Amino acid sequence: MSWIPFKIGQPKKQIVPKTVERDFEREYGKLQQLEEQTRRLQKDMKKSTDADLAMSKSAVKISLDLLSNPLCEQDQDLLNMVTALDTAMKRMDAFNQEKVNQIQKTVIEPLKKFGSVFPSLNMAVKRREQALQDYRRLQAKVEKYEEKEKTGPVLAKLHQAREELRPVREDFEAKNRQLLEEMPRFYGSRLDYFQPSFESLIRAQVVYYSEMHKIFGDLSHQLDQPGHSDEQRERENEAKLSELRALSIVADD
Amino acid sequence: IAQYHIPTKQLKAEVILEPHEVSVTENYFQTQWLIWSFSASFRGKPNLLDMGSLMIKPIQRVMKYPLLLCELRNSTPPSHPDYRALDDAFAAVKDINVNINELKRRKDLVLKYKKNDEDESLKDKLSKLNIHSISKKSKRVTNHLKILTRGESQVKDNTFNREEKLFRALEKTVRLCVKNISLCLQHIQDAMPLALQSVMDLQEISYNKDDEMDYSETLSNALNSCHDFASHLQRLILTPLSALLSLFPGPHKLIQKRYDKLLDCNSYLQRSAGEESDLAKKEYEALNAQLVEELQAFNQAARKILLNCLCSFITLLRDLMLVAQQAYSTLVPVPLLVSSISEIQNQVLEEIQNLNCVKENSATFIERKLSFEKKKPVQILPEMPHQTDIHRSKLLSTYSAEELYQAKRKCNATQEYDINLLEGDLVAVIEQKDPLGSTSRWLVDTGNVKGYVYSSFLKPYNPAKMQKVDAENRFCDDDFENISLFIFYAVHAFQARSDHELSLQEYQRVHILRFCDLSGNKEWWLAEAQGQKGYVPANYLGKMTYA
Repeated sequence: MSWIPFKIGQPKKQIVPKTVERDFEREYGKLQQLEEQTRRLQKDMKKSTDADLAMSKSAVKISLDLLSNPLCEQDQDLLNMVTALDTAMKRMDAFNQEKVNQIQKTVIEPLKKFGSVFPSLNMAVKRREQALQDYRRLQAKVEKYEEKEKTGPVLAKLHQAREELRPVREDFEAKNRQLLEEMPRFYGSRLDYFQPSFESLIRAQVVYYSEMHKIFGDLSHQLDQPGHSDEQRERENEAKLSELRALSIVADD
Repeated sequence: IAQYHIPTKQLKAEVILEPHEVSVTENYFQTQWLIWSFSASFRGKPNLLDMGSLMIKPIQRVMKYPLLLCELRNSTPPSHPDYRALDDAFAAVKDINVNINELKRRKDLVLKYKKNDEDESLKDKLSKLNIHSISKKSKRVTNHLKILTRGESQVKDNTFNREEKLFRALEKTVRLCVKNISLCLQHIQDAMPLALQSVMDLQEISYNKDDEMDYSETLSNALNSCHDFASHLQRLILTPLSALLSLFPGPHKLIQKRYDKLLDCNSYLQRSAGEESDLAKKEYEALNAQLVEELQAFNQAARKILLNCLCSFITLLRDLMLVAQQAYSTLVPVPLLVSSISEIQNQVLEEIQNLNCVKENSATFIERKLSFEKKKPVQILPEMPHQTDIHRSKLLSTYSAEELYQAKRKCNATQEYDINLLEGDLVAVIEQKDPLGSTSRWLVDTGNVKGYVYSSFLKPYNPAKMQKVDAENRFCDDDFENISLFIFYAVHAFQARSDHELSLQEYQRVHILRFCDLSGNKEWWLAEAQGQKGYVPANYLGKMTYA
């Protein structure tokens, strides 16, 4: 059309149908989200296991400080209690460490491995994109020649352009097809992959906590005052504190 | 006399003292009781409206008895049968008075010294300073030092020492407990929500949205339990322990004061007894007795509180673990064996990696592909070994000095036929222009390869200047290759003093094999001359310019 001097304003012809593009975007979007989740989860799990370890270490410190105190030397009852507490805390630490190792093996490592697949995927998508650009470019060239007057050299160039176009288009389409087919499979495989991790994590926690419950339950039975409830102890503490405050040597607050 | 029932024996000293110290409202009931118990002995004296005079009555009474009994005794002839009883009564009553006094002294001392020092400003402290207090303090310091250094005889009270040790140990324990338990609580509060959250997140990617079981309730329950644990711990353990901890400084101050009094007392031990020493002794004993009695009570109560708190801690932990266990149990599906987990996962991973899109694009594959696809093929030169001394000596022997240049810095090959050079590499210039005629690019020989470098990277080779630096940097290890380069001569003669050293004559030429001795000392170089090897001092040698 000669009365249209500029073609710049025209929108690029859609060489890839909208639906296909949309599907691609959707699938890739899901995978991108999965990648993000995997990465974040890996970090969080590491933080969580570190926090667990810190907790059991500080618990051990409680009993350790108590034990190393000269207070226990004279006082047999106190010594027994503190020794038992110390044993319990150390066992807690050991179990915790084991739990963390288990989690490391069955959850964090698999997460890392799964995450290492994503760079390849991203590269594949990038290459498809590159192929698409090439395809577009050559397609535009072909169309440019197609719209020119059909003279000899133009026709020759057109033919050449078309020849160039063909392999590029095929390459793009192959890539596109491959990705469209394989991305959903990838996404779906996460279920089979992560369910065992999840189960293992839960199991590890359940085992740990039931063991801890048993340890502390035994400990509280073993120490004297099994009958006292927390309220009773609280009241007794209050009474003792008042008693102390009544002493003349204690400063008035 | 038998008619004089001696009510004083029934009265305990403390009972008399109580109303003296505390405010009327607080001890209203006590005073009521006192009024009632005394009403009999007052025998109908109705004019007791003044509370002050009422309260003073017992004291006056107690003080009257000794006087009364004393008079009575004095007016009784010793032969009278009651004389003995009177005597005893008089002694007993006097004792009671003394006891009351001492008790009062104890309480007064304690009251005086337990005042909170922190409120005192600097001005107050300064105003307290006077000659008397300064001399007192300096005497105490002296005595303290005497005890420390000479172990002089001193008043000792083992009971007190035991109690005091216990007191200090308790304080330390309680303080540490508060700190450690708080820290542990902090960690628990950090760790448990994190763990729960991670579980939830993992669950999210492990299951489809549709068949996702709703665990949000479990999650919130568990978090609530965690909060409860924290608040219970605070209430049952940390608050009482902190309160207990705040009670320690008071007695602590008094203990310090007691020690001061002890020092005062000790200082009088040596000298003769006098009024001052009596007072010091009395004060010390009063404070000591008070402290011993009350520290015992303190320690016992503190210990009980500590034990209670520890028990509560254990039960709280037990309950928390139970809650956590239950929370996680609701989430667990069919448990799997650990071994099969890795199998399953490896299988899945293999499947994924076999996907074409992944296989073709894995990192290693990409590198290979890239190397083929690069638009501008760069001639990948074979990994060029660095210039060794063989090459250098070859260059030196082949080319003349004017043709030799040295690389000022590292040159990277950029164009075809370029070569890489490291800083300091020796090159011989073959042509001072390149094939295209540019004179900024020169054809050089490194002894190993020939190629082009930019002339701006080269500077003329000055062996004299270069040698020293080079020698120290590069030839401290074995390098027999380049013997010809490093010829030195002995500036002075040197006499070897042992087998390891080499004798030199003046101006004798030597080859240097090593520029340091076995221990790395750069003052001694291993030299060779006339077939003999030995160490020579470096400063005896002068460099020969390359000829």
